[in-house]
Amino acid sequence: MTSHPVVLALWAWLLPAGAFLVLALAAPLRRSGRPAAYVSVLTALTALAASLAAWQGAATLTEPATLLWTWIPQHDGPLATVGVLADADSLVMLVLVALVACLVQVYSLGYLDHEEPAALGRYYLYQSLFAFSMMGLVLAPNFVQLFICWELVGLCSYLLIGFWYRKPAAARAAVKAFWTTKAGDVGLLIGIVLLWRQVGTFEFGAIRVMAEAGAVPLAGLSLITFCLYLGAAGKSAQFPLHVWLPDAMEGPTPVSALIHAATMVTAGVYLLVRTSWLFALTPDVLLIIGWVGAGTALMAAVLACVQTDIKRVLAYSTVSQLGYMMTAIGAGFAAAGFLHLLTHGVFKALLFLGAGAVIHAVGTNDITRMGGLARRMPQTMIVFLVGTLSLAGVPLFAGFLSKEEVLGATWAGGLTGPFVLLVVAAFLTAFYMFRVVFLTFFGAPATPAPATGSGAPGAVHAPHDAPAIMSGPLWLLAALSMVIGVLFTVTHRETPFDMPAWLMPLAVAVSAGGILLAWLTYQRRIVSADALAAAFGPIRRAALANFWVDAVFVAVYRVAFLSLARFIGWVDRYIVDGVLNVLSTWTVSAGDQLRRSQTGRVQDYVYGVALGAIVLVFWFRWLL
Amino acid sequence: MTADVVAFWGLAVLLVGSALAVVLTRNLFHSVLWLALALTGTAGLFLLLEAEFLAAVQVLLYAGGVVTVVVFAIVVTERLVGERLSHTSRSVPLGAITAFGLLAGLVVSIAGAPLAGPAPAMPDDLTPELGYAVLTRHVLPFELLGVLLLVALLGAIYFARPED
Amino acid sequence: MGLEAYLFLAATVFAIGLFGVMTRRNTVGILLGVELMLNAVNINLVAFSRFQGDTLGMVFTLFAIAITVAEVAVGLALVILIFRTRRTAMADHLDLLKG
Repeated sequence: MTSHPVVLALWAWLLPAGAFLVLALAAPLRRSGRPAAYVSVLTALTALAASLAAWQGAATLTEPATLLWTWIPQHDGPLATVGVLADADSLVMLVLVALVACLVQVYSLGYLDHEEPAALGRYYLYQSLFAFSMMGLVLAPNFVQLFICWELVGLCSYLLIGFWYRKPAAARAAVKAFWTTKAGDVGLLIGIVLLWRQVGTFEFGAIRVMAEAGAVPLAGLSLITFCLYLGAAGKSAQFPLHVWLPDAMEGPTPVSALIHAATMVTAGVYLLVRTSWLFALTPDVLLIIGWVGAGTALMAAVLACVQTDIKRVLAYSTVSQLGYMMTAIGAGFAAAGFLHLLTHGVFKALLFLGAGAVIHAVGTNDITRMGGLARRMPQTMIVFLVGTLSLAGVPLFAGFLSKEEVLGATWAGGLTGPFVLLVVAAFLTAFYMFRVVFLTFFGAPATPAPATGSGAPGAVHAPHDAPAIMSGPLWLLAALSMVIGVLFTVTHRETPFDMPAWLMPLAVAVSAGGILLAWLTYQRRIVSADALAAAFGPIRRAALANFWVDAVFVAVYRVAFLSLARFIGWVDRYIVDGVLNVLSTWTVSAGDQLRRSQTGRVQDYVYGVALGAIVLVFWFRWLL
Repeated sequence: MTADVVAFWGLAVLLVGSALAVVLTRNLFHSVLWLALALTGTAGLFLLLEAEFLAAVQVLLYAGGVVTVVVFAIVVTERLVGERLSHTSRSVPLGAITAFGLLAGLVVSIAGAPLAGPAPAMPDDLTPELGYAVLTRHVLPFELLGVLLLVALLGAIYFARPED
Repeated sequence: MGLEAYLFLAATVFAIGLFGVMTRRNTVGILLGVELMLNAVNINLVAFSRFQGDTLGMVFTLFAIAITVAEVAVGLALVILIFRTRRTAMADHLDLLKG
């Protein structure tokens, strides 16, 4: 076995597949619970080691390396292949996926310790499948494998959101996630097929060569890239397909950390980064991406300000940050968006896992029922604070430089409108995150609440810090977040655009302003939260109704689909069935009418004979 | 105006007239009598056609036998009921039209058909020839006819046996 | 008289007999109509036989008359039987085969 990065990447990819197959086929092992978990965790650790080793060797790669097997053969070259594409982007993304997947699986051993063995085995089965699918997506060398893994990832999201399937809300949320992302996936599939018709191949490398040589026909290319973007918009929760992400918080918190923070939702961003050379040919679609991204970022930030469920705040925060990444891509600097993806993956996973520790200890998701947890859970508070500082964009923490780079890219790409939206969103981000921190960890302790929050498996007892198996991953992620932050600050990254000099002070001021307002309102209680709420009354009301996006979807469904279904039902009942019923009724009544000629009287039959004889006579006389 | 033509037309009028009377008379017994007259007219026609034996057979069997049997049947059934059987006709116009239609068809066919010319000469006495033909060339139908008559006789007796 | 004259005559009698079969209510009346039709057929046969110049038609007529006699006998026996069981001789009442 060589230590070439592409082979190591292959190993990292296939190890979770092995765990999945073992757990799927060996039902007794799966149902035994903890042994199945150990199998899955072991493969995840090994996969992490392999992916780190592959990433180490990425520096030796002068050009992307591929390892391909023919899947659908054709007479002049295969129609579709499967395999591994190893370049700088895919390997670093592989490390992120492997790292977060591994940490989440370890964390879950503690978080789900109250689960039944059979359910635990099922959970790890899905986790392994997800790891395999996500890595397959990341390492995909062509659109076919990407799409298949894309759908598999969506399936795993459904299975894991609905893990506690006996809860109606969870089942509904899983279906909602599946359907909403499916709407985007339709666009993705159409885009892939249309692109294939234009260029004749699915392989990224080949299409990239054609695109950079100008050999891709521009006519209709905007439609293709827009369709591809639709798939990304569904997975990465851009407006209006963002509605599934907050509801997806019905799943266990480790699942939210893995799928809805670091990996699956970033698949859309990753796709656009992968195919940025294609999108570069269609600036009008990029403009749309930028505006929608910025709009989503601001909208989600506003929505996060009014949430009382800690996981929902984090969910809307994820939507908002995904909007940031998309805006950077829309400005034409996909690398900035990708960098933010990587840092966000780390600290958002940290935040979710920290929130999970809180939920596990307190037994509720509701931040208004929490308070003063800093004294009882100091470790959790520290790591959560690290994550919050990263998200708020405070210097020396991971999120600061990547967020600044996104802002710089947006400004340099000429998207001034989106830039303004992003700055406002940054202010709100700092505000709502510290609102959560102050309400949860500081202030007066609230009475212990019963387990009312979604996905709260913890018992009702005095809150305490999480056990080592849960806090280990937390500390690792917090340390990583700080290390990355310091590293970036020290090494002065090169950016392909000019960063205006006033940008850093602006970013720092905006974040500081948000933190200050949150401190004044929720810690010092100098600014009244109610007054703030009243000041923004209409916006607040709209935000509490989620800007009625869900209502629009429901209305569309009711009006368009149901009425169409009713119409088709009417057609089926009255026209299709009606024709048949009419035919049968006519046949029966015709039979009844004809039956009257059978009188049973011989003389009437003689009439028949006589008429027949007349006809015969005349026929023979004239026609023959 | 030869005797042939006069005889033919006379017999024709007789035949058609009595036939009409058979189907139109209201009294059943009278119908039977008119039928007897019609059958006799037919016998006359057979004579015109130089089929003397057949004329004799016609008178014997038809006018004599059949009419007698029918008369007896009427009398017996009338006795059974004890009243005169009413027998008016039904849907006369429709029947007339249908019969007339058939007649028209037949007439048109006959008129348009290429029929033979004048009658060829025939030997004087056809009876021996008839007998000869029946007993040599047509002996099988002759024998079967005997069986048929026996069967009919037995059948009629069985049907009309007294109730027990 | 030519052949056509006899044929026309036979056709006329046949039509009259058919009329009688179709319109008469009494079963015996119907049988009388049938008699007329058979009679007309006989005239036809004999005429054709005469104008062809051989006796084949006449032999046929002979047999026809004999069979007719048998048929009348059986038919009337049936009429009597129906009369006994159903107490009617009206053809309109005999409609057991009504569909």
